[in-house]
Amino acid sequence: MKQRSIQLLISTGILLLVLTWVHLFVLQQANGANSSMIFWEFQVPRLLSALLAGAGLALSGLLMQNLFQNPMAGPYVLGVNSGASLFIAILVLGAAPTFLNEFSYVSAAMIGAFLAASFMFVVSKRVQNIQSLLVIGLMFASFTGAIEAVLQSFAAPEQVKQLFIWNMGSLQQMSAAQAPWMATLVIFGIATTLFLVKGLNAMVLGDAHALQLGVKVKQLKIVILFVTALLAGSITAYCGPIAFVGLAIPNLARALLKTQDHLLLILFSVLAGSFFLVAIDVLILLLDPWLSLPVNVLTAVIGAPYVAYLMLRQR
Amino acid sequence: MISIQQAQVGYQTALIDIAQLALPAGQIYALIGRNGSGKSTLLQSLIGQLPLRAGSISVGAFSLEELQKNAALRATQVSFVASMFTGVEALTLRAYVSLGRVPHLGAFGRLQATDLQFVDKVLQALNLSDLAQKDTRKLSDGERQLASLARAIVQDTPLMVLDEPASFLDYFNRELLLDQLQQWVQQKSERTAIFSSHDIDLCLQKGIPMLVLHHQKLTLLAKPTKQEVMALL
Repeated sequence: MKQRSIQLLISTGILLLVLTWVHLFVLQQANGANSSMIFWEFQVPRLLSALLAGAGLALSGLLMQNLFQNPMAGPYVLGVNSGASLFIAILVLGAAPTFLNEFSYVSAAMIGAFLAASFMFVVSKRVQNIQSLLVIGLMFASFTGAIEAVLQSFAAPEQVKQLFIWNMGSLQQMSAAQAPWMATLVIFGIATTLFLVKGLNAMVLGDAHALQLGVKVKQLKIVILFVTALLAGSITAYCGPIAFVGLAIPNLARALLKTQDHLLLILFSVLAGSFFLVAIDVLILLLDPWLSLPVNVLTAVIGAPYVAYLMLRQR
Repeated sequence: MISIQQAQVGYQTALIDIAQLALPAGQIYALIGRNGSGKSTLLQSLIGQLPLRAGSISVGAFSLEELQKNAALRATQVSFVASMFTGVEALTLRAYVSLGRVPHLGAFGRLQATDLQFVDKVLQALNLSDLAQKDTRKLSDGERQLASLARAIVQDTPLMVLDEPASFLDYFNRELLLDQLQQWVQQKSERTAIFSSHDIDLCLQKGIPMLVLHHQKLTLLAKPTKQEVMALL
């Protein structure tokens, strides 16, 4: 049982290594030139943003599913990305240009993500079923979308265009200078999560049961909210809102590993999330000569049917 | 040893008043009472989930107040078997029972070889070994109830509190449950188990001391007879 899980982890890791090499190779073919400047300025940041966004989003999905005790939770469906988007829009459209820097950008996204996640968490205490919570998540997203639209009507066309492109989700926006920042944030989030394993394992039994097993449930939930906001917020700041990774990958992890041991689930989600987004970016690169697709189109084409299948299987 | 002093149990209003009661360790106690008499409420207070309205209860060397403030400490002193466990997807029976070891594990929650041996030994004693790898969602209610008992046993605490642990069990497993509990309290010194039950006849037959809840009072019958119990209820 355990051995099978470890084999699965190792094979996913090896596949991921091969895929990163394929990604670099395909990107090099696409760029034509073979200079180290292009390699470090364009290829590596693009690969890194796929690796980090995939890992971080999958992990934030796993954490949210644990927090909400609900396998259908995720940063996109519960409006965490929307919260980040809204705060970025407010910052870009509202703040003086001198305030627009790396730090304010990422902070705004994280604060927005944290507020949205906390809001949804408070709401989840009042609704009893998955469906209502998902509908509220949708309403929340369309509400923040509407506020963004109102804000945009006051903005200059250039700003609107910038936000529009960012909202599509993209793995090509992160610059080489930003890469170390994103890497630090995501790796910090993953490392923190590893220290939560024992509590996360007990939490699958519910709050009362976990408390009885000595888990400080309230503190743990606050830490989960913070880490989720850190991961989903920073990734949304650098790559825009990317859908389905956070919801689909942890479900795949449980289905394949057949375990609730969160050490294994965390490791697999990180590897498989990275694999999924890098694979999608390879597809984008291969299709590029004929049509240029935003990353969200492909995550939706693959992720949405899988999530629908999970919903149907729940009955 | 559980000792209760002037305790008042209840939510907004007092449901049960206990002037003074001492329960020596090394015994199991059956909590008997009519529907709605407050058995579950009393058990919630005993595990430190529901604060007392007044008075004090001590469990071994600790007062309930201390245990309430410190969840990690409480988990090493008191284990609880809830009346219902509905199962969790992808959580096997063995993994569920292993969660009873959580209070004794390090930050990463890794089980040591000794933990796993302990778990497997308990599974065997409860005839659950064949179901070890089965998803807890796919077990029967009775199997899950036995699994909850196993989880509490591996938690290895001085006090075990069980809320109607036999409600889904068949005749044979009810006997098994009581035998296992009786063995458990005698395996180590200073162990006590308290369980609520409607199985008055079986408890009488096994000579189990009874705590009878009646008219907001709790009476200990060390060697109960049917007449005594019925007179109180």
